[in-house]
Amino acid sequence: MSYESPIRDQLVTGGKTYRDVTRDVTRPLENAPSKSWWIGFSISTLVLALWIGATTYTVFVGLGAWGLNKTVGWAFDITNFVFWVGIGHAGTLISAVLLLFRQKWRMSINRSAEAMTIFAVICAASFILSHMGRPWVAYWPIPLPNAFGTLWVNFNSPLVWDVFAISTYFSVSLVFWYIGLIPDIATVRDRAVSKARKFWYGFFAMGWNGSTKTWHRYEVISLILAGISTPLVLSVHSIVSMDFATSLVPGWHTTIFPPYFVAGAIFSGFGMVLTLLIIAREVMNYKDYITEAHLDAMTKIVMVTGTMVGMAYITEFFVAAYSGVEYEQYAFLNRAFGPYWWAYWTMMTCNLVAPQVFWFKWARTTPWFIFIMSIIVNIGMWFERFVIIVTSLHRDFLPSSWAMYTPTITEVSILIGSFGLFFFLYFLFCKFLPTINMAEVKSIIPTHHEDHGHNHVKGENHAN
Amino acid sequence: MENKNNYWKGIEELNKDPQFLQHKRNEFAEGIPLDDVFSEEDGGLNANRRDFLKYFGFGISAVALAACNKTPIKNAIPYIVKPENITPGIPNYYASTCNACAANCSILVKTREGRPIKIEGNNDSPVFKGAVCATGQGALLGLYDNDRFHAPQIAGAESTWEAIDAEIKNALSSAANIRLVTKTTNSPSGKKAIAEFTAKYPSTKHIQFEAFSLGSIAESNQIAFGKNVIPGYRFDLAKVIVSFGADFLGTWISPTEYTKQWSSNRTPEKKGMSRHIQFESHLSLTGSNADVRYPIKPSSEGVYLISLYNKVAALAGAPSLGNMPTVELPLNMIEITAKELWAAKGASLVVSGSNNLDHQLLVNAINSLLNNIGSTVDLDNYSNQHFSNDAAFETLVSDLNSGSVDTVIFWDVNPVYAYYNSTKLVEGIKKAKTTISSNSSLDETSELCKYHVPANHFLESWNDNEPKAGYFALTQPTISPVFNTRQMEESLLRWADNNTAYYDYIRSNWKGVLSNEAGFEDAWIKSLHDGFYMLPAKTATAAKANLDLSSTVNTAYSLYTASKTNLEVRLYSKVGVRDGSHANNPWLQELPDPISKVTWDNYANISKATADSIGVKDGDLIHISSKAGKIESIPVLVQPGQPNNTIAIAVGYGRTSGGRVAKNVGKNVYQLAAFMNKSVQFSNASITIEKAEGNYELAQTQTHHTIEGRALIKEASLNEYLKDAKAGNHDHHAILKENGNLLTLWGEHDSKGHKWTMAVDLNKCTGCGACVVACNAENNVPVVGRAEVLKRREMHWIRIDRYYRFRNKENNNISKEKEYNNPETGVDFENVSVVHQPLMCQHCGHAPCETVCPVLATVHSSEGLNHMAYNRCVGTRYCANNCPYKVRRFNWFKYRENDQFDFNFNNDLGRMVINPDVTVRSRGVMEKCSFCVQRIQAGKLTAKLENRTIKDGDVKTACQQTCPADAIVFGDIHDPESNVAKHFQNERGFFLLDEYNVQPSVTYLTKIRNVDENLVAEEHHAAKHKNEATQESHQHSESKS
Repeated sequence: MSYESPIRDQLVTGGKTYRDVTRDVTRPLENAPSKSWWIGFSISTLVLALWIGATTYTVFVGLGAWGLNKTVGWAFDITNFVFWVGIGHAGTLISAVLLLFRQKWRMSINRSAEAMTIFAVICAASFILSHMGRPWVAYWPIPLPNAFGTLWVNFNSPLVWDVFAISTYFSVSLVFWYIGLIPDIATVRDRAVSKARKFWYGFFAMGWNGSTKTWHRYEVISLILAGISTPLVLSVHSIVSMDFATSLVPGWHTTIFPPYFVAGAIFSGFGMVLTLLIIAREVMNYKDYITEAHLDAMTKIVMVTGTMVGMAYITEFFVAAYSGVEYEQYAFLNRAFGPYWWAYWTMMTCNLVAPQVFWFKWARTTPWFIFIMSIIVNIGMWFERFVIIVTSLHRDFLPSSWAMYTPTITEVSILIGSFGLFFFLYFLFCKFLPTINMAEVKSIIPTHHEDHGHNHVKGENHAN
Repeated sequence: MENKNNYWKGIEELNKDPQFLQHKRNEFAEGIPLDDVFSEEDGGLNANRRDFLKYFGFGISAVALAACNKTPIKNAIPYIVKPENITPGIPNYYASTCNACAANCSILVKTREGRPIKIEGNNDSPVFKGAVCATGQGALLGLYDNDRFHAPQIAGAESTWEAIDAEIKNALSSAANIRLVTKTTNSPSGKKAIAEFTAKYPSTKHIQFEAFSLGSIAESNQIAFGKNVIPGYRFDLAKVIVSFGADFLGTWISPTEYTKQWSSNRTPEKKGMSRHIQFESHLSLTGSNADVRYPIKPSSEGVYLISLYNKVAALAGAPSLGNMPTVELPLNMIEITAKELWAAKGASLVVSGSNNLDHQLLVNAINSLLNNIGSTVDLDNYSNQHFSNDAAFETLVSDLNSGSVDTVIFWDVNPVYAYYNSTKLVEGIKKAKTTISSNSSLDETSELCKYHVPANHFLESWNDNEPKAGYFALTQPTISPVFNTRQMEESLLRWADNNTAYYDYIRSNWKGVLSNEAGFEDAWIKSLHDGFYMLPAKTATAAKANLDLSSTVNTAYSLYTASKTNLEVRLYSKVGVRDGSHANNPWLQELPDPISKVTWDNYANISKATADSIGVKDGDLIHISSKAGKIESIPVLVQPGQPNNTIAIAVGYGRTSGGRVAKNVGKNVYQLAAFMNKSVQFSNASITIEKAEGNYELAQTQTHHTIEGRALIKEASLNEYLKDAKAGNHDHHAILKENGNLLTLWGEHDSKGHKWTMAVDLNKCTGCGACVVACNAENNVPVVGRAEVLKRREMHWIRIDRYYRFRNKENNNISKEKEYNNPETGVDFENVSVVHQPLMCQHCGHAPCETVCPVLATVHSSEGLNHMAYNRCVGTRYCANNCPYKVRRFNWFKYRENDQFDFNFNNDLGRMVINPDVTVRSRGVMEKCSFCVQRIQAGKLTAKLENRTIKDGDVKTACQQTCPADAIVFGDIHDPESNVAKHFQNERGFFLLDEYNVQPSVTYLTKIRNVDENLVAEEHHAAKHKNEATQESHQHSESKS
């Protein structure tokens, strides 16, 4: 039996009943989309069109459409890739790690966060494809039995590890998210009036009947998936960081990268979660579910991870100085004082300095301010990847090959366009799926109807 | 059914032999042993339904997949009758002669299935010794130039040879005065043809015209020694070389020959490394390789020469050239130079690149004082590689304008573009009645001519040049004429009513010379096979110049004083495009200038101090005005080593016609030249400049010019080297010692057979760029154009890194940007040390690129090569990022059949240059130097066919083969006798980025400068922060030595 101390802050405010929860959450699904939804969706679609256009152009013309050169082989492409993979991490952290830690406040935000993870990984994957010189053979890094003779993949290459890491991450996240959706989809099915709705939601509800047995299995599988996902929170971005750490490029070749990247990923992921939820609680009127307490908790995480990342930045300088490797030393001095100094200081300001405002309670509980901060955090984290990738590459060992990198309109379009892809998917999600986990939220609303939550709580105990 | 069968296969069938009937049921006489192949034990086919379905499924999908890929069918027509000597896939080599310039180097032309695809140096030539320069390498592409005339033309309309010959003959017979303008003419048969033509039309006068004229040299020898020739210079015999602006390693007279000679004395292992002192007005390729270099203004060259003469005369006990008033020049260096020259008298050499007769006479006098005539200045085995009669051309221009010359024939010369007073020449040509041009394309001169009688490319021609006295270089065609063209010699003969084919004409000239009548055929074939015929060299005789040069003093002094503080301009010719005749060659346009690394442009080189005083910086535009007119908006390049108040600009750019590539690249600056003292001077002391609006970015392949204090280049002075062969290279030897302790993650590669390695001698490499163009030709490297070079996307597989080193007020080395850009450091930008470092794929043993490729597209071979499988590459570019040498090149676009890249890969003719042994890379894949793996394979195959093991020297990479300085050595390090193995043992050898232990297969040899100062001490200073272990071993080995 879980027991909530009456002196704890309530996780859901406004005296919601089960019925209220169901009604609030299914309202967008069962009614015509609001005007604000249409506006958002239209803009996203337009920006998505930009992404489609710029990506198609690149595939037709060649990577020469980008600003890359003989020295800087990766820039916006991999920056965007790492950025989007990083965004995804908050979703997994919220749904898996916080589940294991029994952080019940996560229950009203985990659905959106997980959706965000999946969409972010889709965006990231798009950059894996488009950055390739020959995307039509993009399946070659996958170890498929083939008719090309003895050709196989190079298991020494971090890019192959990436293939495994990203595909595992995507499939586990998708399954986790979908399993979590089943009881809610069943609710929508049960409430459906039209035949089509009944069929489709019924199809995806997979015959959920709400029996104790199904609830029991649901709890168990959730825990198992949480168990599988939790190491992914750490491993995926560790492996992404190894794209850099295992190379010998000064500024990349750093053992600090795996933890530093994970911290950065969570940092940026929470930034993005905050951006999305602050919009959602305004637009969809979920203020009772996503309370200021949620914002407060998340901003604390932002502050902690931001400071961790900042410490990593400073540690890198120390290690470079201590190593005595002149190329390493130059790489870091060049970051801070070279031609891309503005990118470096943007990163420092946004990631290390800015989140320190969250020491103040006001900053942690004022939604509009947090919204601005969340954008700043994401700008900072995008620049972090840009700084790592471009400033390390553009001046490495031989000064003869030093070069500058300037993005082209095509690259900028793809970057902006990827947000179009992301929000396009997110708006569809808001329209067709319950954005708050009704089943779980019902277990935490303060209620005297102890009986209603009984089954659920019992199931959870049983799983232990 | 069987009843209807009226025919039987045999009596057995009729008899219905049961055994036969049994067999008849089978489709094949003997059963297919399927069961044996897919036997049960191997989990075979006949096992069960499951396996059947498995194979069936695989088969269907395989067929479906194979059917998906519809490759366009391209028809190739095979030889129906195999031509003699042509075996598809086997190259033929023809000895010939390069006519890209009048140096006439002996070459071998590699042809495949009848197409010339590569020019190589002819190793048998005792004069040129197997080297070709960048221009020569590029000349191949000139053959496949679609902009050439496709047929003879009369007034712009295509015609036939018969028609045009008739018209021209008619015109010539009525001509009052005929002038034949040619380039340097040194072919005996060609000269004879001209003589025949002159005999037929006696009013003809032959004028030799070179755009970048050095006519004064021959003239000065006429005056001083009675021989109107350019001497045979012997840089190999010279212990002290003093050059006044002569770019003899780059563009001057016979650069490959001189580079061979010069580099033979740049081996510190051998005693007597030469000392090379250069005085010059722009940083030339030669100056960048000099031990000591003094930047001087063009107007002060005479004063310097007179001072040098006087100092040498003082040492020789000869009278000085009158009293020259004191000049404010730092003449103490002249004193030192004179002493050095005197100490090496008889084995020293002074040359000048000036076209001022006075200067050349002074040089003759100095060489004479130094007893160099007959040793390093050989007037008996002289050179015919440059003739230019500026005065005669000057007369022609006025005669054309006055109308006294009514017929002019231009034979592969383009004076309308290259003559300083082009406007006047154009007016003159327009007045002429008959104008004939043999120029290969519609250029500035041929545009004005009525008759176009396009000449063959030299790869389609017969000829017999005599570049050096007694050395006859034969040219033979390697392909039948691509277009309807005819050799100009033959045209002249036709017009002189001689209908002999030029081939027969040459042969008849040689009859009785090569041998007697009976042995002629053999001797001719031998000479053709060798590519040259050589008379025994004459003994060089000593001579003294008895000249009264006192009159030069006043001229020189007034030139100097008149322009003491003036801004002057100095014209020079660039390696590659040279005088502009190769401007339509995209390989040469994209060849980075050896010094500035600028491609596709010329620009105003200005010193830092002058640029600051004018208030301009890189990429700003200026107008330059002279008496002749104004050159508008030429971009500025702030060039270290450039003397203050002197602007140097390359000629050869700014073509207004002559082909799609040539047009509108850079600015034409020939008008800044001036006619003075019977010759054209390529400097101008009366100019004014003004800043212009706008900005123009120059496409450089290297934009950072110093090594930032990194130990990428190792150098030592000769003295240090003689004391300690490891001088400057101690950290390498320390690492070698340590190497056993260096941990590596990677297992060693099996290396049982060959292991291909390369050594590059930084002391010999001049940076001339011949290797770059040779590599382009050999490996089908695409041209990407100026816009892409600006984006830093040139595709060259080999590049030459060029670094500057400056000195500050305290004479300390400065190579960090931060320091030299700080005005307080007081860096002297006029004085700069330059080093050239060729960079190709280092074929690392533990290659960083190999470990990161996800698809194993780049892998290590059993012979130590780092292979690139283009077809496997997916284009992640991770390998390029992880390559510390940045030698990998990515195909950003499709560079062939793409109008965005309208160069030779965009037309059928241009693509004929493609080497069929090397894949043309597709869009989206990585490429890089392969150590010419196709040549390695060919070498191994030849050895195998000859049933022997491969010998050292069997395989030469394209860069090595053409290198005029012999700076590149390639071979099998497992052969202890190989040259490359010896180089790896050399104490000067080091690996680039040694400390990263990527085990490169290329070793560099330290640069040894013949200078007094200590270079190693500086290096210690710079390497102060290196780890202590290294320092200790430094001191350790130092105390031992």
